[in-house]
Amino acid sequence: MTELDPVIHAQARLRVVASLSALPECDQVTFPRLQEVLGMTAGNLSVHLRRLEEAGYVAVTKTHRGRTPVTLIALTRRGRLAFEEYTEAIRSLLAPADVKETP
Amino acid sequence: MNTDDDLPPEDPAAALRLIDEQRATAARQFEPDPRAYYWPWGLAWLIGFGLHFLYYSPGDTPLVGMPSWLPLTTLFVLLTAAGAVTAVAGVRAHGQVTGESARRGAWYGWSWGLGFLTIFVLAGRVSDSLPPDLIGLLWSALAVGLTGILHMAGGAIWMERPLFLLGVWITAVNVLGTIAGPGWHALVVSVAGGGGMLLAGLLGWLRRRGQA
Repeated sequence: MTELDPVIHAQARLRVVASLSALPECDQVTFPRLQEVLGMTAGNLSVHLRRLEEAGYVAVTKTHRGRTPVTLIALTRRGRLAFEEYTEAIRSLLAPADVKETP
Repeated sequence: MNTDDDLPPEDPAAALRLIDEQRATAARQFEPDPRAYYWPWGLAWLIGFGLHFLYYSPGDTPLVGMPSWLPLTTLFVLLTAAGAVTAVAGVRAHGQVTGESARRGAWYGWSWGLGFLTIFVLAGRVSDSLPPDLIGLLWSALAVGLTGILHMAGGAIWMERPLFLLGVWITAVNVLGTIAGPGWHALVVSVAGGGGMLLAGLLGWLRRRGQA
């Protein structure tokens, strides 16, 4: 069996990464909006984001909009690649017969 | 729940289902509903230009009697309302997203604003020296023409074929209507232009539902 990326191979983080992958590259989403899209608690989302950030899959930028602090989140190039590889691995697990082509 | 969601998905099928569902949900949240983008404008054109056709009809007598202020007022009220609905839907979907696409959207918005400013200045400048029926045609043909071209440009910016094709359609309708003359222009823009926008909204919405 193929090794599945342990960072992404957890339901919550898979959902986070899948959602972020729906954004165009070079775009970032605010923390509350991502939380709303995922329906997670702030604490729970923070924990998973930290794990993804440590792996280099997610970039968390803290900035200011006027005087209000804003946290922006985006998938890194590495994160996007890891997600694509994970999805590929899952697909090949599901359809092993298709992968082996008959000559 | 908080401990459960750290577990891996049950099996590959569940993982794939989770990926597909989550991506579809997120895409729906980050993209505004096509109905909110097309239907208010389609209705505004259908009703607003429809009244123009009925009052400023081809020939000399109105097809339907109504107060003379009604067609233009209705058109402006409906266009303003459409702008508000689109703005709310846009902010709802894109307001919390920043980056390249936000800049793209802002610049595109500026193109609309400056484009219409150009038209207003130009048409305002030459209107005095035109007969009344041609004044109406000048304003609406310029405005509808710019709308068609900006839809085409939008299709090119976001690589969206339906948006581009709608722009081509609006442009064609506008050119044909302008050749046909005052009165007829309002009719084709109302029915074919407004109808095209309503159809674009419907098709976009069906496509989006198909992805869910």
